[in-house]
Amino acid sequence: MSLTYLVSYYYLWVGPHLLLASILVAMFLRRLHRQFPMFFLYAAFEMLQCGVLLGISLSPIGFDPPYTTVYSIGLAISTVIRFAVISELYRHFFRRYPALNGPGRYLFCGSIVVLLVIAAIVGVSAPSTSSNFLFNATYALDRAVSVLQCGLLISLFAFSRYFALSWRSHAFGIALGLGIFASVELATSCVWLHLGYFGDRAVNLFTMATYHLCVLIWMFYLIRRERVMSYVLTPLPKNDLEIWNNELQRLVQR
Amino acid sequence: MTTTIILVLISLLALICLLWLAKGRTVSPNILQNPSEHMRAVDVEAFRNLVDPDEEEFLRANLSPPEFRRIQRERLRAAVEYVSCAAQNAAILLRVADAGRRSSDPATAQAAEKLVDNAIRLRLYASLAIPRLYLGMILPGAHISPVRIAESYEQMTRLVVLLGCLQYPTQGISAAL
Repeated sequence: MSLTYLVSYYYLWVGPHLLLASILVAMFLRRLHRQFPMFFLYAAFEMLQCGVLLGISLSPIGFDPPYTTVYSIGLAISTVIRFAVISELYRHFFRRYPALNGPGRYLFCGSIVVLLVIAAIVGVSAPSTSSNFLFNATYALDRAVSVLQCGLLISLFAFSRYFALSWRSHAFGIALGLGIFASVELATSCVWLHLGYFGDRAVNLFTMATYHLCVLIWMFYLIRRERVMSYVLTPLPKNDLEIWNNELQRLVQR
Repeated sequence: MTTTIILVLISLLALICLLWLAKGRTVSPNILQNPSEHMRAVDVEAFRNLVDPDEEEFLRANLSPPEFRRIQRERLRAAVEYVSCAAQNAAILLRVADAGRRSSDPATAQAAEKLVDNAIRLRLYASLAIPRLYLGMILPGAHISPVRIAESYEQMTRLVVLLGCLQYPTQGISAAL
């Protein structure tokens, strides 16, 4: 392995997780961990997982099967937490807009059903090239999960766009980062199966770079102060206000 | 390999779709400052007349079947236009009311909250009513009654007026309603 590859590899592996630490601190200081506890847990778990995997890889075990087992278990836990984060984002919208509680829940459940079918098809459709069962199962599941997560986030964005809902910038940042990562992960998990066990370096680096980008997006939206939207109200001519008052009276008495 | 290429293309499309949807979240300050400029006039009474079942029965009784179908299609096409306009206005009002929710005055914030609620309901009703109106255009005899849209729109109009009064000095938001 070339030195450039090694430096890039370890930077893209460790760097984003160090940045996650700053996000955790910022979230804690701004009490955002109370608003987005699942995302806080996700960031903390990702850091822990990185530390454990890095430790194993630098030990005599290296990237041998025990590493793959720990990686697969970590990926499964991380996936479950990511679903919890998406659920948290939906709940965030339902809290902000109580009128959406009914239709929003229907949309959430409906999207899950439709996406589960698509995910199952995608999960079993792509052929497996590796002889390692755990490896194949992990990536088939990863692919299916990516479809589900990506679809749920697209549904959430489409929903908010149709209803012209405004996002709190923190929630928007979390959703955007997760969405980008899920869609890229869907592509790379398909490609990986053809390239074999931790195969193609370019794909590997590309996934890690995407994750780095997502962490930067989360940093941008979670660390900066939220802009308070304000608009200037221009005064109305007095006679217009009288018309308004008359209109109000007429409409209330109807 | 073909499946993989298809899946990669799907994920690329998903990414583009996600970024496109995310891009539309920002509100132009111009909309918030001059909402009435972006809204279109909606005559609730005219809309009620277009979807009135009695009116429909009257036309059915007094016109030949081909002429009734033609007229009914025209009426429903106009009704779709009205609903679309009302839904568009609701989207603008929702943005304005969303900003109003942060008002320090509790009465303004409460009125804005109600307006948000009604605007969302209207968008929801519109999304249900428009396909039904189109169905009515395909099958002019089918019974449809999206009167709730009119009721919801009226309720929303009342709230806009209330919000406008509470936010004095303000702008002519209700002018387009």
